[in-house]
Amino acid sequence: MKNVNIVIVDDSPFQIALLRDLLTENGFNVVGEASSLEETIEVVTDTKPDLVTMDMTIPGTDGFECTEAIHKINSNIKVIIVSSMMDDEIVRKAKKTHVSGYAQKPVEAEELTLLINRVMADEESFLELEGLYSAIFKESLLNVFNKLTKTSPEITNENNINVEKHSAGISIIMGIIGKYSGRMIVDMSFESAQNIAKVLIKREPKNNEETLNVMSEISNMIAGNACSMINKKNKIFGLRVAPPTTFHGESISISKAELEAIYAANAKTQFGDLSISIGFGRGEGEWMSII
Amino acid sequence: MDVNYINPILNSFASVMPQLGLTNVEKKGMRLKGRFIESPGVMIIVGIIGDIRGNVIYGLSLNDAKKIASTMMMGMPVDNFDELAQSAISELTNMLTANVATNFSNDNININISTPTLVHGEFTANASSDKVVCIEMGVNEMVIEVNISMEKNTL
Repeated sequence: MKNVNIVIVDDSPFQIALLRDLLTENGFNVVGEASSLEETIEVVTDTKPDLVTMDMTIPGTDGFECTEAIHKINSNIKVIIVSSMMDDEIVRKAKKTHVSGYAQKPVEAEELTLLINRVMADEESFLELEGLYSAIFKESLLNVFNKLTKTSPEITNENNINVEKHSAGISIIMGIIGKYSGRMIVDMSFESAQNIAKVLIKREPKNNEETLNVMSEISNMIAGNACSMINKKNKIFGLRVAPPTTFHGESISISKAELEAIYAANAKTQFGDLSISIGFGRGEGEWMSII
Repeated sequence: MDVNYINPILNSFASVMPQLGLTNVEKKGMRLKGRFIESPGVMIIVGIIGDIRGNVIYGLSLNDAKKIASTMMMGMPVDNFDELAQSAISELTNMLTANVATNFSNDNININISTPTLVHGEFTANASSDKVVCIEMGVNEMVIEVNISMEKNTL
C-alpha cells in the first residue's frame, strides 16, 4: 500500500500530539493539523491528504460540517471520526455525511492502524472495480449475444453519465450485491425484444410474458457472467446478482441512482437496439468502526 | 426454507417510519399475487442475496410518494416528483430494507441488499418468482405496498 498522508482535525493540542505520535509511529505521514473549520479548509486544500481524522466537537462548528467542507474540496478524501462520543444518532449522521469509519477515544494504536488500513484498502479496491467493470460488462454482453445468436452487436454511445432514463418499453433491473453493491439495467423496445426472442426460441413468442422471460434470462446471463469474471479478477469483490425484475409499459422513468460509478452504452444488434447501464456505489461496505 | 417475511417487515416500518416523522404505522392487509404487479405510480426495487434470494418491490402512488418525501424533508413542499424527492424515497426504501435485513439476522437469516432502483410512470412489473406476497402498510393515511418476491437460494 502506498504512503497514507493524514491531516488531524481536533480542538485539543494534547489530542493532536497524541494522535500525531501514534500515527507517525505506525508508518503514516501526518501532513497537517487543524482546530477549526477555516483551518481545516486551508490545511486540506494545501496538503491534499488521503485521509483526515476528525474530532466531533470543535468550537464554532462540528465534525460533520468539517467533513462536508473537506468533501467539497475533494470527495475522494477519506474521513474517519475519532471522538469520545458515540451514539446511534452520530453514526446515522456520519453515514449520511459519507464518513468512512469511526474510532472512539481513547484510541489504541493497533485499532486505529487497522481501521485506516482497511479504509484505504477499501478505496483501492473500489478504484480497481471502477477500472475494470465497464469493459467486463461489455465483453459479457458481446459474449452472450455471440453465443446465442452468432452475431456481434455494435457498441455505441458509451458514457458515464448518471441521469434519469426513459425506457424504450421494457426495462430489466437486476440488483448487484457484494463488497460494493449496484445494479444493471437492460432496456429495449418491445419490437427488439420480440425479434430477439424469436431468434432464440426459433418461433414467434406465444405472448408478452414469453418475450419478457427470454429477455430477463439474457440479462441474467450478462450480469451473472460479468460478475463471475470480476470475481475471478479479485475475489474480494464477491459480486452476486439478485433475480431480474422486468418492467414494461407506456411510460417508464428510471431515476438517477445514488451510484458513484456508472457505465452506459447502446448495443446495436441485428434484431434491434438495446441499452445497458451498470452502476456501483461504495455503499454500506465502506462503513467501518472499531468500537 | 420456510421464512416468515411478515414480522421483519412490520418491525422495520415500526422502527424506521417514526424516525422520519411518520408516526401512524399499521398493517392494512396481506395477499398473494401472481408475478405481474401493476404499478401504483412509483415502484422501488431492492435486490436481496444471501440465505434467501429475491427482490422487495415497494409500490406507492405518486401523490403519496410526494407527501412522504415532503415529510422526510422537514415539510418542504414537493410539487414535482423531482430528483430530490426521488432520492428521498429511494433512501427510505434503503433504510426499510436494511432494517428488514437486521431483523432477519436476529433470526439467524443473513441477507445483503442491493442499491434501490426507483421507477415511475405507467407500467407493470414482472417479478422473478410466481408467488408474490403483498403486504399493504398504512402510514399516516398513505399506503405503501411491499411486494416480496423470493426464491430459495440454490447457490
